[in-house]
Amino acid sequence: MGNKILDINNLNVDFLSEGASIHAVKDFSMHINKNEIFGLVGESGSGKSTVIKSILRILPAPGVITKGEIKFKDQDILELDESELSSLRWSHISVVKQKALNSLNPLLKIKEQIIDTIRAHEKIKTKDAMERCNALMDLVEIDRNYLNSYPHELSGGMKQRVVIAIALALKPELIIMDEPTTALDVVIEKEIILKILDLKSQLGFSLLFITHDLNLILGFADRVGVMLEGELVDTDTAEIIKSGGNNPYTTKLINSIPDVSDYSQTKADKNEPELIHVKDLVKTYSRHSSFFSSDKFHAVDGVSFNVNKNEIVGLVGESGSGKSTISKILTKLIDFDGGQILFNGKDISCITKRRDLLDYRKKVQVIFQDPFASLNSIHTVYHHLSRPILIHRSYDKYSKKQRDQMVKKEIIAILKEVDLSPPEEFLYKFPHEMSGGERQRIALARVLLVQPQLIIADEPTSMLDMSIRMEILDLLKSLQVKKGISILFITHDIASACYLSNRLIVLKNGKIVDSGIVSEIINNPKDKYSKLLIDSCESGWFINQ
Amino acid sequence: MNRSWYNLIWINKKARLGIIIVSSFILIAAVGPIFFEDPNAYIGTPLLEPSFVHLFGTTGQGQDVFAQTIAGARSTLFIGLGTGFMIVLLGLIVGSLSGYFGRRIDNILSLIINIFLLIPGLPLMVIIAAWLPPGPFSMMGVLVFTGWAWQARVLRSQVLSLRERDYVNAAIITGESNIKVIIYQIWPQMLSLIMASFIGATVYAIGAQVGLEFLGLGDVDKVTWGNNLYWATNDLALLTGSWWTFVPTGLCIALVSFGLTLINYGIDEISNPRLLSERIVKSRLPNLFNRNGSTPVARELFGK
Amino acid sequence: MNTSVKYLLKRLGIYAISGWAAVTLNFFLPRMMPGDPVSVMFASFRGKLKPEAIEALKQTFGFTDEPLLNKYISYLSHLLNGELGISTAYFPEEVSSIILSSLGWTLLLVGISLVVSFIIGSLIGMIIAWRRDGKLDSILPPSFSFISSFPYFFTAMLLLYFFGFKLGWFPIRHAYNSNLIPGFNIEFIVSCLHHAFLPASTLIFMGIGGWMLQMRNNMIGTISTDYISFAKSKGLSQKRIMIWYAAKNAILPIITSFGMAIGFILSGTILTEIIFSYPGQGYILYQAVQAQDYQLMQGIFLTTTLSVLAANWLIDILVLILDPRTRK
Repeated sequence: MGNKILDINNLNVDFLSEGASIHAVKDFSMHINKNEIFGLVGESGSGKSTVIKSILRILPAPGVITKGEIKFKDQDILELDESELSSLRWSHISVVKQKALNSLNPLLKIKEQIIDTIRAHEKIKTKDAMERCNALMDLVEIDRNYLNSYPHELSGGMKQRVVIAIALALKPELIIMDEPTTALDVVIEKEIILKILDLKSQLGFSLLFITHDLNLILGFADRVGVMLEGELVDTDTAEIIKSGGNNPYTTKLINSIPDVSDYSQTKADKNEPELIHVKDLVKTYSRHSSFFSSDKFHAVDGVSFNVNKNEIVGLVGESGSGKSTISKILTKLIDFDGGQILFNGKDISCITKRRDLLDYRKKVQVIFQDPFASLNSIHTVYHHLSRPILIHRSYDKYSKKQRDQMVKKEIIAILKEVDLSPPEEFLYKFPHEMSGGERQRIALARVLLVQPQLIIADEPTSMLDMSIRMEILDLLKSLQVKKGISILFITHDIASACYLSNRLIVLKNGKIVDSGIVSEIINNPKDKYSKLLIDSCESGWFINQ
Repeated sequence: MNRSWYNLIWINKKARLGIIIVSSFILIAAVGPIFFEDPNAYIGTPLLEPSFVHLFGTTGQGQDVFAQTIAGARSTLFIGLGTGFMIVLLGLIVGSLSGYFGRRIDNILSLIINIFLLIPGLPLMVIIAAWLPPGPFSMMGVLVFTGWAWQARVLRSQVLSLRERDYVNAAIITGESNIKVIIYQIWPQMLSLIMASFIGATVYAIGAQVGLEFLGLGDVDKVTWGNNLYWATNDLALLTGSWWTFVPTGLCIALVSFGLTLINYGIDEISNPRLLSERIVKSRLPNLFNRNGSTPVARELFGK
Repeated sequence: MNTSVKYLLKRLGIYAISGWAAVTLNFFLPRMMPGDPVSVMFASFRGKLKPEAIEALKQTFGFTDEPLLNKYISYLSHLLNGELGISTAYFPEEVSSIILSSLGWTLLLVGISLVVSFIIGSLIGMIIAWRRDGKLDSILPPSFSFISSFPYFFTAMLLLYFFGFKLGWFPIRHAYNSNLIPGFNIEFIVSCLHHAFLPASTLIFMGIGGWMLQMRNNMIGTISTDYISFAKSKGLSQKRIMIWYAAKNAILPIITSFGMAIGFILSGTILTEIIFSYPGQGYILYQAVQAQDYQLMQGIFLTTTLSVLAANWLIDILVLILDPRTRK
């Protein structure tokens, strides 16, 4: 039996389709030792979730396991029948997934969901079951009273901890965690990772931790495996992986981890005039089903900042900080409830008429986070890029034929500028025929065609693979210098903000907690939170606190 | 996906059957009456059972049931499809305005939609139809007035969710006018829903129309399916056991409605990728597929 | 104020506005129609009532030369007193008493069929969605779908023909044997049930399909959610997942849609009653249409509308009790 608790050999998983099957996982082999933390890393689409679901055989149709063996302590999971699988699940291997809020049944109380897990595997009296529930809640540090609540009454972090408690309910030997802290903010992420490590040392289980965040896992894993397109391309101890690993892809991933100290040294020209001036901005929403008793929620709570001509300002905040709200307000997609916004000296809340609005739009443009979502899937690149041209240039006096020629010429020129070549090939492509990076370049091209003075880049790289992020950031940088456009770069990743921006603003819970030029913020953060954000760029940051 | 839409629909067995049924009836409605003279003409003894001479027998007034059934198709289908079209058009406009502009416009329009949905349809139809002079426009008017709200609500909720997509906001920020955004960004993403709405509205229109005519509120002089059933009841078909006077027409109505519903099923299955995935696994590995069971292991099929 | 109470009051407001809209529509309808329906309406009274009585009736219902607002107000006040006019089809009975005596039969049919078809339909829907192993799922939904494509009265006609006329197992008209005197005795109740069987069966038969399809579709949607796959991975039994995780979540939207369904069921009931000469709202509506009895028609419209609105509000209360998410 040895020391291995999980031993996967040559696992192959296919997704059946009407035509040929898709080989999602190819010849995947790895093992986990007792009491070990194994990190499985890969970008989206690499197959890591598929592997996890296959281990417990909860992969939905059209997934089929076609080859290999998955040994848990000498038993091949792939040979078990339904009832044996049922008893294996949870009492020996349990899973914690991302987005816990979706893992809990909205119509059952928390205690019922913990108890039915226990009851599914052991006969237990209600009194004893409640004792176990209490113990579990204490373990994850949630007040016992919440046992009688419904899931919607808990916050996101609490729900995640409840799911972890359920995963521990039967004291399994192996816990699999699939991106458990993605989409949670840095502060909570730190709490949860520390809690997991603490529980592991108390209870003694093995941990298989899946993530796309290489930086995070290198801080606490014993061994790390790297997946690319369904294959395990590298696996070794954390130290070796950290220093570049055994495979060029691993090296590429390591190199694309943004380094906070590699920040933009260029300072903006202090004499440039103000482009946009925001003063005491307030935006409130009324929450309906909320945990908090107050009905109103301040998404933006008295924010003041400005962006000058010819500079890049990085607005750093996590989800819930208010950054996307600010973006929507500045682009006049939503109204605001207090404060003042001046663009080139003029109050933007005075812009009501269609003509003035069009004029404003000519000057302020946006790049969105999800490149797939920002391009309508039924239109070609030509359509997407011709619209801004036709709307903003007056080509009325030309004939249709002439106009089409001019439009085409301009589109080809802009495609070259965003490094898509050969441009003619891209003209009639649909969004789904292009990669994430290509789509984001099209989105950028669309924005540039309007010839704006300010581009609001709302998390433009967070949905792209790490290897491509740098390319897009570099493109933004060079275009900014070339065309003298200002950029408001909104992101949760302080490292990329430092790389791109001249100045930084740190946002938390709708308020600005820190601002200044990049070198100042990095070396002298004024606020605890900004310090935490900077520290989180180092791997293992949470441990040294 | 949109280019092979038509192919997809045809491949889906349910939809294909539905299309065949509906097209057959449309063909019958268009061409059928040419083969008969006056379906209302007296051609024989009343209430004769079906025979070779009179395929479906005769009515209580000595008319040919077969001729009446064929002739009835035209009016019923024409009004059904026409009403269906108008309901979807009205529903699309109201739903789009409501879902796109939101806030005050949405509050008012939603309230109106809700009121129309709450007030029970048949009694309302009856009192309006009772006051109106008979005729196709009255009929269509009554049907549209009482039936538009359902589709409006369905279409509104789709517009509401599409409104929040990034590409819609991107178009607005690019400077696109609201009308153009609705027509070129939102509506094209709703094509299958609009189609399904049209079919649903037509099914409703046919059923409601037949119901009103059965009560005697249609144009009693015309030959329609609903009127055939009205006369059958009036001529005491049930009490005399003359099943042939109402069964053929009833079956025709059921078949057309069913055919339309099948097409809708097909559209639904195509737009729902999960159902498709399950069917694929089921067909390839029938013995191993269990929708609630564990992932199947198919080593034998794929070679070691 | 409690959010639940606020919510219920808001819903009540919507129903009140709808009720007002229906009442107002009722008032303006005859006045908006082409031609002179008013004279038509009162022509049918001629010969039955003295001219002075006709004048009085005109006064009551505002067909006079007074300004519109006055007429409207007097109309509303008559309504609030429960005066809905005099019927011509059942002359000289009052519309309100005719409606009251028939309302009970309709409620009986609607009640039985709604409860039975919902329970059976949902159970079948839950099971075939869960098992989905081919046979049941390929036969039942399409068959019920086909049956639901029949016009209600057609199904009624078929059932009446086969079971009433040909086989003679069930009576073909009325609510109870005319020899019996209504009362709470066994004989009467049995007769009622015997007479109600075919009409109720029609409604149940036609209705099952709808509930079954909705439940099935909702279950399929629920089954693919994350909390179901989490439940599966926890090792819970199939039965527990099917009922407490999937079905419980799947049924909630259906109950919410009860309100919409009631209007539909009512329409079906009306048409079915006609075939079976079952003395409910549908039957008297039919008589009213045949006799051009506008007063009765409008009276039925008002009472059915108000019943549906009331039922909707009761359903809102039910949903509030069943779904904890609405109770914040």
